[in-house]
Amino acid sequence: MRTYIAALVALACWLGVAHADKKQYRYVGIHPIAKAAGGGVCHIGAPHVHVYAPVDVKVQFRDHDGWNYFVGDPVAYGWDGPKTSYYGHHPVPVDVIVADDHPDTEYCYLEGPHFHAWAPPAELKLELRAGAYWYVGDFPPAYAAGRATYDPIDVVYQPLRYERPTVVVDAAPPGWYGAIVVAPAPVVVVPARPARVSAGVEVRVPAPSLRVEIGVPSVQIGIGGGVIVHDHHDHHDRGRHGGKGWKKRGRGHR
Amino acid sequence: MIRAWRVAALATAALAAACGGNEAKPATSDDGLIAAWKAAKLEVSALTTVEPKPYGATACRGGTVSSVDVVLCDYGSGEDAQAAEDLGLAVVGDATGAALARGTRLLVVVDRRKADPSGRTIDAITAAFRK
Repeated sequence: MRTYIAALVALACWLGVAHADKKQYRYVGIHPIAKAAGGGVCHIGAPHVHVYAPVDVKVQFRDHDGWNYFVGDPVAYGWDGPKTSYYGHHPVPVDVIVADDHPDTEYCYLEGPHFHAWAPPAELKLELRAGAYWYVGDFPPAYAAGRATYDPIDVVYQPLRYERPTVVVDAAPPGWYGAIVVAPAPVVVVPARPARVSAGVEVRVPAPSLRVEIGVPSVQIGIGGGVIVHDHHDHHDRGRHGGKGWKKRGRGHR
Repeated sequence: MIRAWRVAALATAALAAACGGNEAKPATSDDGLIAAWKAAKLEVSALTTVEPKPYGATACRGGTVSSVDVVLCDYGSGEDAQAAEDLGLAVVGDATGAALARGTRLLVVVDRRKADPSGRTIDAITAAFRK
């Protein structure tokens, strides 16, 4: 009996130690909850800890002074709080959003219409069109440098079924560039504007030419030897963008 | 002339006391925070004395807010409170929680009973503290 009790105590101690050894992960702001921990969205805005790792940490999170900050679309994970619609890539002023003193601007690489839980601060150069914010300012070299790492974030969202913002536009705002994402419909926008990367001196990223083959009823776009290049801001987009099952139909130059 | 000096000295002493010069008085009161929690429709238990050593604090009290454990601790300076955030996170252990300094106070929130899976309660608790 004594041996049994001693073994039980030892097991309890071992379990206790093992339990206490779980790694803490630091978060700031709302974020998806790991499926193993129940799923959904954690609503804590302040810096906090969990014992589960960030979901798709490589593309969905940025380090903010040692804390994991979620840059993705929380609605995809069930967020039902305040939300704002955005279209395409844009800066994310993390320090403004989390209200702390550590200057930190990150970039959102989500294509097409998506949500964030934060409303943009006035100093961010965004244009509100068709209910969504479009970034019309310059991107710094840090944005270009992060593309290789963070662009695959769209792969994470492609299988997620949720109601994205519906954006109906005749044309994208002047100054905006990017890939228009359309709901299954025979409409597409072909932006051909190179990314403006500024660091005191403006650097222009050479744009590959676009080949646009017009078919019926859809427009097919390929990148290669140029036949037709749209080199103006008057985007020919008259479609509804958003809703479930959207997909990228064209890709602009960056 | 002497009377005038006495009046001035008394007035200065009264002003100092009113501005918190009385060291016997707690540096901060929890009343405002508790009122803010209640205003946010959170259920606040009585806060009782908690051993301050694990938090490296001069004094701590704790209780529950809507089934989530909270501890409030006092420090000699804002820097001390800030430095104690890591001690607070160590107390959180393998639960969901937060340790936030504001002024000379530290708030430690721990959801040991998994009463707040979405984090809404902790968000309301911490938001009131940070205001």
